Formats: sequence, structure tokens, C-alpha cells
Amino acid sequence: MKKVLIVDDSLSVARQLERIISESGDLVCVGHAKNGAEAIKMNHSENPDIICMDMNMPGMDGLTALRTLSVMDKDVKVVMVTSLGGVGDKFTEALKLGAKNVISKPFEAENVLRILREL
Amino acid sequence: MAIKFFGQFLVERNIVTRDALLKAIEMQERTNLKLGEMAVSVGYITQSDIELAHNAQMSKDMKLGDLLVEMGLLTLNQLNDVITRQKNTHLYIGEALVQVGALTTEGLQQYLQEFKADQSQYVSEGIELPGGIANSRIWEMAADLTYKMITRVLDLQFRPGKGELVTTIDSNFMLAAMDLAGDMDARYLISVSEGLQKSIAKAILREESVDSEPAEVLEDTVMEFVNVVCGNISAKASQMGVILNINPPVTIRPPAAGLPVPTGHMAICFPIHIGDDEKMQLILLIKN
Repeated sequence: MKKVLIVDDSLSVARQLERIISESGDLVCVGHAKNGAEAIKMNHSENPDIICMDMNMPGMDGLTALRTLSVMDKDVKVVMVTSLGGVGDKFTEALKLGAKNVISKPFEAENVLRILREL
Repeated sequence: MAIKFFGQFLVERNIVTRDALLKAIEMQERTNLKLGEMAVSVGYITQSDIELAHNAQMSKDMKLGDLLVEMGLLTLNQLNDVITRQKNTHLYIGEALVQVGALTTEGLQQYLQEFKADQSQYVSEGIELPGGIANSRIWEMAADLTYKMITRVLDLQFRPGKGELVTTIDSNFMLAAMDLAGDMDARYLISVSEGLQKSIAKAILREESVDSEPAEVLEDTVMEFVNVVCGNISAKASQMGVILNINPPVTIRPPAAGLPVPTGHMAICFPIHIGDDEKMQLILLIKN
């Protein structure tokens, strides 16, 4: 089972993603970080295979955390889950910083699962 | 289900790889010269003229081209010529993907059609604003996109009311707000009654009942709805050539007398009629 860490300041988004992951059968959620700094700590403690991370969070935002994670951990695969996915510059910046994909909100469960399973 | 740009649409559907898209974007960045670079390449100005203008931009809120003209470094005709050259030589992402071998010309046409069909649900149907509002096309788009997201994300039936200028933001059970900043500054607010907060929570959490959910979670669902709408407004604005960055959403509990519109701002209120017992409003608080 691939281990997934969710990083989002929104409780409701974390709930949605946790449900999608727990019902998948082949993915397991190992935790929920509420900002980029927590994500970096939990990446160390939980050692996830995949991180699903929001871009727009108070404290350390998603792109800053992605920049740090790309240097600190070459193995973890980061997917950005964001309402800003349709902003071309943000999408491009995320890919250049090492994100494997970007999922736009509002998202559909099957789309999320397809992208996570492809990693 | 969201507003996307063409490259993202192709990667999401596994039509092109992330690496191929990055290669095409790098080709675009090499080919599509910025205004200053293009003006230098045709010999109208020098690199030091650009630096002079960039320094002047620190104290003047003007676009580079307009500033170069104002400083006498570029004529208006030269500026128009540079803009025309930029348009004529612009390499679109689809063409770049063909050039890097990630798409065929026929495939590009087919996927462009599919992309247009996917995004057609977000084409504006026109919203009437009160007269005399600057950048009205952006605020019309914001209201229109809000209505579309109420239908698609919340699955609520409603009747939009006419947008009107107000001096006080009405009291309601809660307001969720998000600041928009960039080429213009504004605060986007959604005001909901208690019953509508629960309807939004049911839709966002995909639960039949939210009666046992803590207040914090119920409030968060309204903020998340605002986040989704504003992120898509930002995406649509960027397609229209306008930068609108977003900040994390916040919750406001308005006093019974409502919230006065701050000096230096105007507020457009759009009533959203859902039922006799419920109250929902979209408010755009725009800095003058």
C-alpha cells in the first residue's frame, strides 16, 4: 500500500481526501499536516510515498514547502491539490519545483485516484 | 471540473507527460520575448533603458511599455509595433508541444476541441453591474463564476438577484472572505444563513447529515467553497490578462447592525435567492 500524507489547512479538504484514499483499497493516509512546515516534519516522521499538498496555506505555503522537500527528500512524490491549478504560472512553477502533477479544485475522486496511482 | 489551462488539461489526462510539458514551456520561454526584450531585439531601446524604466517602476505604478513612452525612451508607434511583433511571434503551448514531438498537428486540433468543450461550462453568460465600476468585466466574471460553482459544487437551485452598490454589508450567520490582490485589490465575501451553512457543509463533505459536526468544520466548508471559487476566479482572470493573487480565507461573524463599507472602497452586493427562510449574498468589496 502506498502511504499518502495530506497537507491542507482546510479540515474539509483533508476529510474529502482521507475518504477518497481510505476507500481506494491500495492507498493509505498516514497523516494530515496543516501547513508546509508541519509537512516537512511529518515527511520525516511518517516517511510517506506521496504528499498531496495545497498551495495556498497560512504559515509556510505549499510552493515553499515543495522547494524544501525537493532538496531534502528525492524519493517522495509531491502532487499539488489546489484551487489555483488553472493559473498557468502557478502550475508551471509547481512542476519546475518538482511536483509530479497538479490537481485542480473542485476535484473528482476518480481523477485524484488515477493521478495518485500513476505515481 | 475546474478552470484549467491547456497544458494542465493534457497532463491531467495523461495525453502528454509532465517532462514533455516542461520542455514545451521552456521552448515558449525562449521564444516569447517580453516587451522590453522585444524592444531591444528590434533596436528601439537598449538594456540600460530597460533598467532605467525598471528603477522608475519602483515609484510609479505603470506598465513597462507605458513608462518607456512617458520617459521618452520609446515612441507610441514603436510601442504598438513591439506589441504587434509579440503577438505575431507568440508560440502557443499547443504549438510548442507539437515542436517538441509530444503531440501531432492532428492530435493538437482534436485535443483543443475537447479542451474547449470541457471549459465551455465556464464561459460567462453576462452579469449586469451598477454603472461606473472600473474593471467591470473582472467583477462580472467573478459573480458569474460564483453562480456556476453554486450549481456545480453545491448543487443548489437559486435565483440570482441584481447586483447593487451598498454602504453596509448586512448581518448574517457567518461570512467567509478572501482577499484578492495584484492588478486590483478587493475582498470577496460570501454571506450565509445557518441553514445554508449546513447545506454547503453537506455538499463539500459529501455527507447526508452534518448535525454532529463541530462548528469549526461547518465554518471551514464555507471557507473552502470561497477558496475554490476564488482560485478559479484567479485562473480565469489570468486568462484575461489580469493578475489576481489569493490569500487564505477567513471567517467573519458580523455584528447585528452589519459591517459598514470602509472608506476608499465600494461594495457590490448580489443577493442569491435560495428559499424564504435562508439568506445568501455575494459581496465584492473593491478598493477604489
